[in-house]
Amino acid sequence: MSTPAPNHPPVNRRQFFRDGARLAAMTGLGAFLGVAATRSRASQNTVWQIDPSKCVYCGQCATACVLKPSAVKCVQSYEICGYCDLCTGYFVPQPNSLDTGAENQVCPTAAIERKFIEDPYFEYNIDENRCIGCAKCVEGCTRFGNGSFYLQVRHDRCLNCNECSIARVCAGDAFHRVPASEPYVIKTTAHE
Amino acid sequence: MKPHRRRAGFSRRDFLRAGGAVLAGAAVTRTGQAADSRKPNPWAYDVSGFEKTDPKLVRYRELRRFKSPHRDARRLALGPDGRVWIAAGNYVCAIDPAGNSVAEIAFAVPARCVAVANDGAVIVGLRDHLEVFDAQGKRQAAWDSPGKRTWFSGLAATETAVFAADSGSRAVLHYDRSGKLVGRIGEKNKDRDIPGFVLPSPYLDVVLHPDGLLRVNNAGRHQVQAFTVSGDLEASWGKPTMAIDGFCGCCNPVALAVLPDGRCVTCEKGLPRVKVYSLHGDFDCVVAGVESFSENAQTSKGDQAGDGVKASLDAAADAKGHIYVLDTVTSEVRVMAPKATA
Amino acid sequence: MSLRRFGIAAFALLAPLWNGGLALAEQRFPPPEFETGYKMPAITTPAPRGLAMEYVDVAVLVTALGVAAWLVHRKRSRRGLIVLSLFSLVYFGFYRKGCICPIGAPQNVAYGLFNPDYAIPVTALAFFLVPLLFSLFSGRTFCSGVCPHGALQDLVLIKPVKVPLWLEQGLSIVPYIFLGAGVLFAATGAGFVICRFDPFIPLFRMTGSFFILCLAGGFLLTSLFVGRPFCRFLCPYGALLRLGSLVSKWRVRITPDYCTQCRLCEQSCPFGAIREPLVATANPAALAPDRRRLGWLLLLLPVLIAVGAWGGSKLSVPASRLHPTVALAEKYLDPKKPAPTPGSATPETLALTRADENAEAILTTAAAVRRKFDVGGWWFGGWVGLVVGLRLVSLSTRTARADFEPDRGSCYACGRCYLACPNERVRVGLLSPAEAAGLNANRAASRVAASART
Repeated sequence: MSTPAPNHPPVNRRQFFRDGARLAAMTGLGAFLGVAATRSRASQNTVWQIDPSKCVYCGQCATACVLKPSAVKCVQSYEICGYCDLCTGYFVPQPNSLDTGAENQVCPTAAIERKFIEDPYFEYNIDENRCIGCAKCVEGCTRFGNGSFYLQVRHDRCLNCNECSIARVCAGDAFHRVPASEPYVIKTTAHE
Repeated sequence: MKPHRRRAGFSRRDFLRAGGAVLAGAAVTRTGQAADSRKPNPWAYDVSGFEKTDPKLVRYRELRRFKSPHRDARRLALGPDGRVWIAAGNYVCAIDPAGNSVAEIAFAVPARCVAVANDGAVIVGLRDHLEVFDAQGKRQAAWDSPGKRTWFSGLAATETAVFAADSGSRAVLHYDRSGKLVGRIGEKNKDRDIPGFVLPSPYLDVVLHPDGLLRVNNAGRHQVQAFTVSGDLEASWGKPTMAIDGFCGCCNPVALAVLPDGRCVTCEKGLPRVKVYSLHGDFDCVVAGVESFSENAQTSKGDQAGDGVKASLDAAADAKGHIYVLDTVTSEVRVMAPKATA
Repeated sequence: MSLRRFGIAAFALLAPLWNGGLALAEQRFPPPEFETGYKMPAITTPAPRGLAMEYVDVAVLVTALGVAAWLVHRKRSRRGLIVLSLFSLVYFGFYRKGCICPIGAPQNVAYGLFNPDYAIPVTALAFFLVPLLFSLFSGRTFCSGVCPHGALQDLVLIKPVKVPLWLEQGLSIVPYIFLGAGVLFAATGAGFVICRFDPFIPLFRMTGSFFILCLAGGFLLTSLFVGRPFCRFLCPYGALLRLGSLVSKWRVRITPDYCTQCRLCEQSCPFGAIREPLVATANPAALAPDRRRLGWLLLLLPVLIAVGAWGGSKLSVPASRLHPTVALAEKYLDPKKPAPTPGSATPETLALTRADENAEAILTTAAAVRRKFDVGGWWFGGWVGLVVGLRLVSLSTRTARADFEPDRGSCYACGRCYLACPNERVRVGLLSPAEAAGLNANRAASRVAASART
């Protein structure tokens, strides 16, 4: 009943136009690639990181990250730490006693370990599996002490989102893209 | 038409229905709190309760204030002629009682502390060594560095001796005026019952007391300690608490001064406040509370300089009982006088 | 603009205070000396995902695109595409958590082009360009089985409902507008809105804010009944692929060899992409009103662009508030801003304190961003006008078609229509040629009967 359509239609005007447009599009994509590849002054992939000197301890790192718990964790720069007995990053402002009782700890998830080293020094470590990145200890340590606690984006957890959802709400404008070859902003004794 | 082939076998639709429900359910149970910038930070380290001072305790008023000619002021000292010497940035400068800058000494590195002896000699502490100047600011001598760990943070000087608080080696170094190291005071020593200085940060200060002893702040132990010139520990007082009668935070006080009547002036950081204690260490009154240092009290000011000596206070007292308070954040000096007693 | 003027004034006022902030290289105060030989632990710095793994992603993308093209055009296998979709869903979706994906990549490219300090990652560039290149040859094969978003929607589609044509045509310009908005906000540095409102990424990550999870649930539920709602009515990258596939070398052919006009395929497409044959009208006079309308529309096009550009320029101020610095600057200049209260600091008051300390820097930046938006608003508005105009033009043109064939732009190459075609069923051995002939005879008879009734 029906007439079979020809298998190979002859090259017509529409086909010609389409071929031309495709060629133009490919040229365009190539040119675009060239521009995009040469335009940038930077040459490296980037990751998100916190500049500790800009952090204002607003608490958004704990809530705004797409990960739960956040990929932002508190880190401890031991060479800056005073190893204080009365650590204001570990204890609440007015602790009942200087022991590991939960009511004395500033950390809401008890993620800081206190370890006796020698009189009168104590070592403090962060358990990153518990840390939620709320910066409460960071604020305590920085206000009264040396600021050896500070927040960093931990790249074993961070998904490196195109648009970091914490960066968008960071009250201190502390989030920036940093070169992937130097993915941390670490505080050391040699400080600039 | 033939029935759909797949419908007879495994039911992709049921599978997807269940899978979709699980997916949505899992996502919903893991819903995070929305970040709301208007809600108070539930994790704030809240010391606001300690930032208010009972006005009844404040028994000093501000006479006047003047700005340091240079930024990053760290310590101040009073000369016998009434001039105020300030170690600020890479300078040490002198300001006369009228508030005019009258002398200035420049250094290549930050000047960390300064003391003026009664004969007018000015001793300046740089991180690792001391330098001596005359009252006009002419360099007389530069002494050798006593050690690699040295980090001078406080000075006191008489006509015959210089006491230099070395935070790095956790000791007060006793020099004679020629620069010879005579003794080391306050180092940990079980035999002499000296517990040693605990200094998480470079804030060791030393002042000369009219009773002939030195007063040194053992910040990590929240104490003021009295040493003889020969290094015996005579007394210690002070307790750790955020309350007004003690020393707050992890390491306070950070600076000392002595009033003509022998009472001791203490400065704290974190909760920036200046207080007066009796000879025996009983809390006496407040010179200036946290309210007076609003900029200094901001946590974010605490960590701006690399060596952690940004947000703190220093004090000196003159013969009239006026207390000169230096705010290291604003680099301002306030002159505080006792209120007229009611 | 008051903001800009204030920025200059503030700069002039505060400039004398801006004399430093550069700390000297200083040594920090050393930690205590321990007597017990205690060794300080070192701070750990776990490395980010290696660059090599990103090249693996690109390789997987290219391979999957190749396989998809082969499955669509050579193998003609719907089942193969389902398997590939599942793989993409697992790899690009649940394993790679949907990032990087081509949908968001135009933003990286736009951001990189307008902010030379940002290096466009090689992966972002590859993910942007490679599917486009493929679309020039094999149509939307990326959508068919490589995109995790498409795969998810396609796999959950249970009971397709036909979307009315007017709604379909109206909504199908949204992706172009969304693309324009994505490029505008990325180029001005205000953020990556395409990523922010992506409804499926939260499902891949299994986390998200309440709002975004509601959006995700809504889209997922809709996709049970409406074929690929995100792809059709929102996906900005799909808009680009649609353009690319308009000129693709190979197209999806429903029938393996020739069309018998049996109309069996007509209902098989859940996306309304199959177009019926259109025979050129014999009477040219009947075409005259259409031609006239087309002429008017072509004349209207520049007007629409101009109107759009004007409207876009009006939108630039509110749009610029999406930039965090502009938002902060406006809040800072607002006389009713909340005062900082000690003890109950909010992120907002903390940001305002920061603004207070760096007022001139923040106001200058905000003014600069707003200037970018002033220019970008014109471009964006003009783009919207162009999109609307071209849609009207395309609705007024006719393309003669002899056979039932999928629309080049709208076809997602999902392969559902293949097995609807009796000729295809004969090809794969599900139907004998005789059965197929009978089927065609039946269909033809019913069509004759239907035409007889009218």
